[in-house]
Amino acid sequence: MDFVASKFSDFLTYTGFANVEWANIIMIAVGAFFIWLAIKKDFEPLLLIPIGLGIILGNIPFKAAGLEIGLYEDNSVLNIFYQGVRQGWYPPLVFLGIGAMTDFGALIANPKLMLIGAAAQFGIFGAYMIALAMGFEPNQAAGIAIIGGADGPTAIFLSSKLSPNLMGAIAVCAYSYMALVPVLQPVVMKLLTTKAQRKIKMKSPRQVSQTEKMLFPIVGLLITTFIVPSGLPLLGMLFFGNLLKESTKTTRLAKTAGSALNDIVVMLLGLTVGCSTQASEFLTLDTIKIFALGAFAFIIATASGVIFVHIMNLFLSKDNKINPLIGNAGVSAVPMAARISQNEGLKADSHNYLLMHAMGPNVAGVIGSAVAAGVLLGFLS
Amino acid sequence: METYHSKMMKKLLSIFSLLAVSTAMMAQGAYDFKINEVFVLGCCQKACMKAEAGDSGCVAPADAKCMRPSFYKDEYGEPASWIEIENTSYSTHDIRNCFIATDKVVLDKKMSAPEREQLMSLIPAGDPRTLIKAKQRITFFVGNRNRGTLHTTCAVQLKAGEENWIALYDGNAVDLLDSVTIPALQPGQTYARLSDNTWQVCEASEATPNGPNQEYHNDKIREFKEKDPYGFAMTLMCMGVVFVCLLILFLFFQGFGLLLAKVVNKVTKPVIQPVVNAGERVMEVAKQASIETRGIPMETYTAVIGLALHEYFGGTHDIESGIITIHQNSNSSWSDKSHELRQTPQHHIATPTNHTKK
Repeated sequence: MDFVASKFSDFLTYTGFANVEWANIIMIAVGAFFIWLAIKKDFEPLLLIPIGLGIILGNIPFKAAGLEIGLYEDNSVLNIFYQGVRQGWYPPLVFLGIGAMTDFGALIANPKLMLIGAAAQFGIFGAYMIALAMGFEPNQAAGIAIIGGADGPTAIFLSSKLSPNLMGAIAVCAYSYMALVPVLQPVVMKLLTTKAQRKIKMKSPRQVSQTEKMLFPIVGLLITTFIVPSGLPLLGMLFFGNLLKESTKTTRLAKTAGSALNDIVVMLLGLTVGCSTQASEFLTLDTIKIFALGAFAFIIATASGVIFVHIMNLFLSKDNKINPLIGNAGVSAVPMAARISQNEGLKADSHNYLLMHAMGPNVAGVIGSAVAAGVLLGFLS
Repeated sequence: METYHSKMMKKLLSIFSLLAVSTAMMAQGAYDFKINEVFVLGCCQKACMKAEAGDSGCVAPADAKCMRPSFYKDEYGEPASWIEIENTSYSTHDIRNCFIATDKVVLDKKMSAPEREQLMSLIPAGDPRTLIKAKQRITFFVGNRNRGTLHTTCAVQLKAGEENWIALYDGNAVDLLDSVTIPALQPGQTYARLSDNTWQVCEASEATPNGPNQEYHNDKIREFKEKDPYGFAMTLMCMGVVFVCLLILFLFFQGFGLLLAKVVNKVTKPVIQPVVNAGERVMEVAKQASIETRGIPMETYTAVIGLALHEYFGGTHDIESGIITIHQNSNSSWSDKSHELRQTPQHHIATPTNHTKK
């Protein structure tokens, strides 16, 4: 009987109830809140559900007894999944899927929209300067600032290389703000535009030939990676995915890359990113600073895109004016940011459809943020 | 014969592709070993070692620094000259089957590989220690091959107080991977390669066998912290690069779009004219036959029929968007699945062929 009692009491010391701390409870509540946001409010459920559950999973308390079950324990299943984040090979796979799903036609039809995608990257560097002022090291500041690119995989990729200790907070912050794009961006867009500007109707984009679409990933890859070779993993996979799609000969591969493969990687990525937010690692002052900086980065990126359109309009003829509402799409949250341009455009004029025009800067933003990440990596690693 | 040629062409193409890929891999630094640090044991040092072992009679004031425990000893605890080699690439590579040479005769390009091998020391296969991780090092002791993989054969000799030459050759004993000429060193000194690939004579206390020759610290981050504390320079440079990338893409596709528009116009104009001609002929025939159009304008009928006729007689084009392609249906009633998949099969009058049932 004593034997059973001692073993049972020993077992009790292993349970979550015996090892729980307030920090775990807080993090589990955060995970549940993310799941609620995803299901009830429809905020990026594909991202927030895996992340939310990952947060809960990563904060289940247990006694460290070398059972190889925790995310940070060698040889555990979660640790094996986590290597995709740590070593940075999930983000390029996600970029492969993005490339296979993205139609660069809108961008090719009106190439000047690429410059909006470049201007919106100022969000990254605005946040970089603020992060430096807040006392972060240059490599940490760069890892945090990339949140302004509104690109989760890029944020994970860069932070895993430059500031691995902040990666969990950066990843959760990037994905959370991406989910909050519909809340953050319209306010900034309305503040920086007049009613008349929001009603500007843009000319229909020209027809784009298949030849141009096929050429785009090859030329894009050559130009961007020759200038920024450090962006090779992200840009290479992005353009590879796009070539699979546009070559018209590898439709099967493009479908797999854009659906099954992408879904698998997103699931594992979301889950392990969520898991990495263990209370002991996550609930720190730095995390609060990172979330504040992330918000700044998104606001600066949106504002700089919209302001750049105003500047461009100064040089364009009356017939070729660009609606400043597509400036927000320069951040690379595809296609959420473009959808916001469309919705805000329709609110101003129910006959003004901006989606196709907004997709141009939106996909340029994907390229821009990958290039920015490559440049930062080149300068600081 | 043609099949044979096409197979050969495919094989050649794949070989060239593999070659191109391997060249690219080399360009990205997939394979790179370099001699990193060398220590030549002098006679006085041998004496010092004896002194360390208890024979105090040898110790002279001039050789006092030899008493520092700087000698890197082999597995048997004996000092020896050593050559440190670094895998300077960013991936794991095995150095087995490479050669170390100290005799300059091997530079003679006329020598055959077997002749060269006689003058070099082979790094044996079969020892996991020869697998060197990225940016890691391996140290070979000169002489005493019978003591293991990490010892060279007698073909490698380093002479104390003299200039020495050391070379590292690839597995074919012909391709030189790296070589260095070591000046005559004072007792206890080593000759080490620094991060900027320059060489420097180091004192005994600075010898780092199997370790990096310089303490690693990220100079880039420190430099940015010191010289760009507010991030203005970083912002300016990075935004510049992002803009340049997208600006070049913009210019390329702007120019290419204009060029393509001209080409498409040139191509489509001669296409349109025959279609118009065909349409006009169809219109004449239709008017003469007084065909019923059921409310659809006659022009629509004639345009569609004219285009179809033109495509039928003139072949098809590629899949440029905005251009209609009408393919000739090559199926007969016997092979067309669309006829067979109906609930009630529809029988059409087919052109008699050899397969027609009798």
